[in-house]
Amino acid sequence: MLPLKIESLAVSFPGLATPVLAIDNLAIAAGSRIALTGGSGSGKSTLINIIAGLERIRTGRVVWGEQNLADLSEGRRDRWRAANIGLVMQDFHLFPGLSALDNILLPARLSRVASADVIKRAHMLLDTVGLKRPEQHVETMSRGEMQRVAIARAILRRPGVIIADEPTASLDLESGAAVGDLLLSVASYAGSTLIIATHDQRLVERLDRRLLLKGGRITGDTDHKEIAA
Amino acid sequence: MIGFILADLRRLWLGGAVVILLVALATALGVAVTLQERSLRLGSARAADKFDLVIGAAGSETQLILSSIFLQPAPLPLVDGAVLSKLAADPRVAWAAPVGFGDSFAGYPIVGTTTSLVSSTTSGFTEGKMFALEGEALLGAAVNLPLGAEIKPMHGTAETGGNTHASPAYKVVGKLQPTGTPWDRAILVPIQAVWHVHGLGEEHGHHDEGEHHEGEAGQAEPVAQISASQGRKYALALGAASSRHVEEEHHGSVDPDAPIVETFGAGTPGLPAILVKPKTIADAYRLRQEYRTGSTLGVFPGEVLTGLYATLGDAKMVLSAVAAGSQGLVAAALVLVTVIHVGQRRRQIGALRAFGAPRGSVFLIVWLELFVLVALGVGIGFLLGLGAAHIGSQVFTAKSGVILPVGFTREDLRLALILLGFAAVLAAVPALLAYRQSPATALRA
Repeated sequence: MLPLKIESLAVSFPGLATPVLAIDNLAIAAGSRIALTGGSGSGKSTLINIIAGLERIRTGRVVWGEQNLADLSEGRRDRWRAANIGLVMQDFHLFPGLSALDNILLPARLSRVASADVIKRAHMLLDTVGLKRPEQHVETMSRGEMQRVAIARAILRRPGVIIADEPTASLDLESGAAVGDLLLSVASYAGSTLIIATHDQRLVERLDRRLLLKGGRITGDTDHKEIAA
Repeated sequence: MIGFILADLRRLWLGGAVVILLVALATALGVAVTLQERSLRLGSARAADKFDLVIGAAGSETQLILSSIFLQPAPLPLVDGAVLSKLAADPRVAWAAPVGFGDSFAGYPIVGTTTSLVSSTTSGFTEGKMFALEGEALLGAAVNLPLGAEIKPMHGTAETGGNTHASPAYKVVGKLQPTGTPWDRAILVPIQAVWHVHGLGEEHGHHDEGEHHEGEAGQAEPVAQISASQGRKYALALGAASSRHVEEEHHGSVDPDAPIVETFGAGTPGLPAILVKPKTIADAYRLRQEYRTGSTLGVFPGEVLTGLYATLGDAKMVLSAVAAGSQGLVAAALVLVTVIHVGQRRRQIGALRAFGAPRGSVFLIVWLELFVLVALGVGIGFLLGLGAAHIGSQVFTAKSGVILPVGFTREDLRLALILLGFAAVLAAVPALLAYRQSPATALRA
């Protein structure tokens, strides 16, 4: 469970006169559940990349707990992300040819932290996300099942933060709802801070707070009561 | 990590197989050239090993060695028989043996020689015994004839239009153990019989031949200069080209029951070559020097082979350059393909890092995948090259009798290590691209 504080963040790309993302001040409480919304090109993905430590921060501060990501080298950022962030992407990014269990364990194995306890937890998580066949190859699964595997992978190392980028966008309504339920329940169970970039209004309504992005700036910040209203 | 790499290679097995095949073929080409050239050197050197010094008439050194040691059918000028008498009496000579050839049977060359040469250059008999009579013959290990078989000599070879002598057949009395030399394909008969078949020498080794050798002492003109009256002398070393001419003058006969005589007096007929075993190395050099003047030519087989190896080396250099060129092209193609491949897999590689794989692991995965493929290709290429060299050697051995020893040496191990080192560097190119790739950019791609 980690709080986030962003100060004077600006992300610019060469050739563009104005920053694609500019946030003067943003605070997210530890354990809160945030929806990031906004149209295409609003800066949602850029913000996801920045807070997940996927992009280098050149201007401003992005502080998770006590750690300012701007101070970390690329290698250290990778290590920090592996230990603290659980990522769930729209396209799952599972690896064909590997089983569900192997997909869940792959990042941990590559980081040489796949201990017996971690492997045991992977089996348990498969059960948690409702998958009964750990050895089933992911290319033989439905899209909903694939996203469940991706969620299990994201929470394997008990991250303090779960970040999901359009997790339901490529799923049918039923699967999308189930994945939404799953994300909320695992985040709640682990006490992780949950940030979801989504267009899925039903999912947004179930989150505590909504940040609306437009032109790279936060133009709306509403809490659950206001969303419900 | 290994599981991920294996799963990846299983998924992309066709592309992987093509990479392995390309590398294997390019490697095999270079390895086969190296192994074949080396085996040719070793095999020919071993074939000539037992023959320290060859003395023939003045002419081509190379042809003298090719004909006397490698039994290549070709006309040779004859050295005077008196040279053999002189050498046999020389205290510096352990043994000196004449060789007479030109006849064949069933594709096998018939070589006339002496018991001392047979005893000194072979390791004994697999069956039978040494020839003792003029009508007896020995078989080299690779001659596919049984003991007791009858051999009717043909002048020259069947392929070149040779004709069979009218004289009685030889009877096979022994089969020699393999020597790994062209002599394994030879039928050995007493030199005395060869002379008599061609109407030369003393009758049954005792009677003065008289007219056959009058005026021949000290002569060893090239074949083309031999006069008609000396035509029979020519027969001993002749290919088929002049066989008809020779047959016209054949009137010799063999007495199969006559004992062989191996003391060579003044009446000894001309010879294509005399194989000499000097007692010491110093003697060898002195004899070579003495017999390199005027009408005779003393040659160390090794020096002729050295010259041939230089030519062989040039050919190897050209072939190696071709092989290296093909390997370079394959390497360039592989770099191109893998760089494109990494580009196409940017999302997957980016995802690995995004989900927590360290950059080092990403580098290692891409590097190992390509390195494993290339290393497999190199390994298979070495085996293919070895197989090709073995097949080439077997074909050569079947034709020439020279056993070509094909095998790897430390030099090949060094080549393998160089190729693997090169593969390691080659695989690092796409691995470095993957290492430097930003995960965010890759995920967006």
